[in-house]
Amino acid sequence: MGPARSEVLQGTLDLMVLKALDALGPLHGYGIARRLEQLSEEVLKLNEGTVYASLLRLGQNGWIRSEWGVSENKRKARFYSITKAGRKQLAREADNWRRISAVVARVLESA
Amino acid sequence: MQAWLRRLVSRIAEPFTRRRDESEFDCEVQQHLALLEERFRRQGMAPKEARYAARRQFGGITQLRERRRESRGFAALEIFVQDAFQSIRAVLKKPAFSATAVATIALGIGANVAVFSVIDAVVLRPLSAPAADRIVRFLNRYGEGVSDIANFPQFNLWRGQTDLFEYVSAHRLDPVNLTGENPEQIQVARVSSSFFPLFGAPVEIGRAFTDAEDKPGADRVAILSDGFWRRRFSGDARALGTTITLGSDPYRVIGVLSAGFDSEQFSPLPDAYVPFQIDPASMDGGSYEWVTARLKPSVTVALANARLSAVAEQYGRERSSLSPSTMFEVEPLRETLTYSTRRFAPLWLGAVSFVLLIACANMTNLMLVRGAGRKREIAICAATGASRGRLIRQLLTECIALAVAGGALGLALGLAGIRALVAMYSGGAALNIPRLGQAGSAVTLDWRLAGFAIVISSIAGVLSGILPALQGSSVDLSAASKGQPPGSNKSRWLLVVAQIGLASVLLSAAALMIRGYVGLRLIDPGFDSSHIETLEMSVSATRFEKTADLSQLIREGAERVRALPGVESASAACCIPLETVWQLPFIVEGRPVNGRFHAFAGWTFVSPDYFKTFKIPLLRGRGFTERDDASAPGVVIINEAMARRYWPGADPLEDRLIVGRGMRPEYDKDPVRQIVGIVGDIRDQFLNVSPRPAMYVPIAQLPDGINSVNLRLLPVAWFVRWRESSPPLKAIQSELQRASAGLPVARSRSMDQIKIRSLASAEFQALLVTVFSAAALLLAAVGVYGVVAHSVEQRSKELGIRLALGAEPDAIRNRVMLEALWMALAGIVVGFAGDAGLYRLHLIQFGPSDWNPMFFAAPAALGLATLLAAWIPALRATRVDPVAALRWE
Repeated sequence: MGPARSEVLQGTLDLMVLKALDALGPLHGYGIARRLEQLSEEVLKLNEGTVYASLLRLGQNGWIRSEWGVSENKRKARFYSITKAGRKQLAREADNWRRISAVVARVLESA
Repeated sequence: MQAWLRRLVSRIAEPFTRRRDESEFDCEVQQHLALLEERFRRQGMAPKEARYAARRQFGGITQLRERRRESRGFAALEIFVQDAFQSIRAVLKKPAFSATAVATIALGIGANVAVFSVIDAVVLRPLSAPAADRIVRFLNRYGEGVSDIANFPQFNLWRGQTDLFEYVSAHRLDPVNLTGENPEQIQVARVSSSFFPLFGAPVEIGRAFTDAEDKPGADRVAILSDGFWRRRFSGDARALGTTITLGSDPYRVIGVLSAGFDSEQFSPLPDAYVPFQIDPASMDGGSYEWVTARLKPSVTVALANARLSAVAEQYGRERSSLSPSTMFEVEPLRETLTYSTRRFAPLWLGAVSFVLLIACANMTNLMLVRGAGRKREIAICAATGASRGRLIRQLLTECIALAVAGGALGLALGLAGIRALVAMYSGGAALNIPRLGQAGSAVTLDWRLAGFAIVISSIAGVLSGILPALQGSSVDLSAASKGQPPGSNKSRWLLVVAQIGLASVLLSAAALMIRGYVGLRLIDPGFDSSHIETLEMSVSATRFEKTADLSQLIREGAERVRALPGVESASAACCIPLETVWQLPFIVEGRPVNGRFHAFAGWTFVSPDYFKTFKIPLLRGRGFTERDDASAPGVVIINEAMARRYWPGADPLEDRLIVGRGMRPEYDKDPVRQIVGIVGDIRDQFLNVSPRPAMYVPIAQLPDGINSVNLRLLPVAWFVRWRESSPPLKAIQSELQRASAGLPVARSRSMDQIKIRSLASAEFQALLVTVFSAAALLLAAVGVYGVVAHSVEQRSKELGIRLALGAEPDAIRNRVMLEALWMALAGIVVGFAGDAGLYRLHLIQFGPSDWNPMFFAAPAALGLATLLAAWIPALRATRVDPVAALRWE
């Protein structure tokens, strides 16, 4: 069943969503999904619905906010944008991530 | 805004915004799907295909919605409420199943409530006195023994320790005659003036004693209990200032206590209170009373005890005390009062927790069976997006709902049951359990009991729900939707074996206790208790405190009663066997003494016909006669145990005894007594205590001092042996009253009654454990029935085919029965292992011969119950209709 897969992804998915909002400005859920698809070069196959779970978590932490706007196809859509707290969190997490991935890379190379 | 604060606000606001939020979310998802679909269409997919592809790529919408809901608001609570409603719906849908589960749990909880309510009332309920946790009882400790009985010099010493204690108070209950109009024997509490403030006694009208009134030689005053005041004075306030005569002394009534006041120090409750008036200079070592006090605020029990040991040393040095090694101690009064109950509490609690565990196992089994039948329903829930956690919660909530319903029923059942049981023993008095109130009225529902019931129901619910929840929630979707039968019954089988094992341990314990009790009833006490009526007559503070008058009264009374038709013999003594025995030290005249005396022995003063009335055999020498009076040389009769122990190979009849010397001045006047006879041993302390050395002396030879000291403590006991089917009670009473010039004759009881009453505590214990093990047996049988019935149902197809192919119905029935017997056998083996384990842990005790009832009673009961429980399903197995069984699929 589903939960196991999404749990592994949770942390990184949140980080990627935050990064996308930081880089591209306000996006709706569909936009975020496309951005992730594009960035990960199809390596990351995910149920797009999980993006909304991630958005919910980020919103509850106050790292993003949302408002209603009009989408490309002229329909009402909810746009998400990153907050100041979100930027701080992103910097912190990105730092963390870089450190960990550097360590992991070193370990793998030396072995 | 802080993140956690924001979260909190959004969670609190959640219920108000949920509707809008959810529709917005749906709208958002629809929008997303539309965009995806459009994209796929642009990539060249057919419209229908594009829609499916979009849905696939998006993933489970319901799960997402569910997860959203859980992470928002106070979802846990909300889900609980939802689950609870769903559970109630599920429970109501299956009334038979639910009723069985509820009844099972009710039985388990009821047993626990019954025991806990007694422990609550007796042990946990605080004393009603002010600063009750600082109230302590004084103890004398000598070597192994501890006693909370103290004498006047000790009381005086203790009340001098003003830096440790306040309100040091002495009390004692004496039966005294209220003389004058309508004479009766009433209970008079002698208390020191600090008793009332110590126990916070509320005075209804009038006042309490002053310290001055508690001095020796002060005016005689009395305070009445509310009940006595209403009974004798019709609740008239003019009772104040009037005079009542207790014994022969007039007492002025100065106050009435409020209704409902119970210091919990007296049983029965006193009718009147009089000042103790203990002489501060008293050297009377033979006096007795109980001493209670309140610790000063900063004083601990440990500190008080450390200081008291110095006081005890000084006391031992200054006085040539009988036992120089006496130590003084205090302990919290609540511990003193609850000692006997706390001793039994582990046994009771152990027994009822077994019952509860068995009940839980039953409930688990029921849920497992139901879970098997519900696989498909649960699989559908899982398929439509319920997470496993949610499923587990749902199933657990269902169990808890059932357990709570069972708990409520059990609470009522247990409380009513224990009250009925306690009432059977006329309250706690006969059971040696204090604080139970009149007919168990103190056993009530309070917040502790309610809390206990709630907690234990929840525990039972979780305990019995865990296995079914784990098993029920792990659904293999593809298998379940195809309707495949659930896996093995191993866990259910093991549960039933465990149930039988637990029940077996309980049954063994019950068998042991019943055996012990029956053994007690069969013990020959050494006297014939049938056809003896006992009556009591208080002669305290009357002219009969003089020995000459008393022996005259007893001679005349006995003669008058003996003259009645149907009466075989009549006699009197200081005390009633199996209720009170005095002990005094003795010296064998002429033998070297190492110390101050040779030993202690029982000491009973009797009228000549005492041995005849009780049919105690005279083994050697002679009995007492009317000629053994104050003018004749002192004589004493000893029992066989004493002769054997202190005259091995010698003749006691050649020796003389000095009795009670050094106890107190009165006893020094006792004559040196020639041993004139040896009588058979009787068990006069308790039926399971072997007879100890005992001495008997004639009432007519008591020095006046000894007589008055003893008669102030206990009323004279009359014993009448009668021949007819029932004793001529009225006539006996009026003859005794005539002989005593109108003294009240109270508490007429048969000796058989007294013997049975002395066994009440043992009987109650055995009864309680028997009731619990019967409940365990019933529950285990239900468990066996459940498993066997289910397995027959599951295999009905197989059985149908066998029958169709010509299998003998008897063979099939026997196979099912055999299966059940295997379970019983395994359970009994487990039970014996449990017995052995408890024995090794010293939690139960039994001798080698006690294996007999344990080996036979428990297995026999369990085997029988198993066969009975398996019989119906086994019979059903032989009646499976092959056609119906095959078509059922």
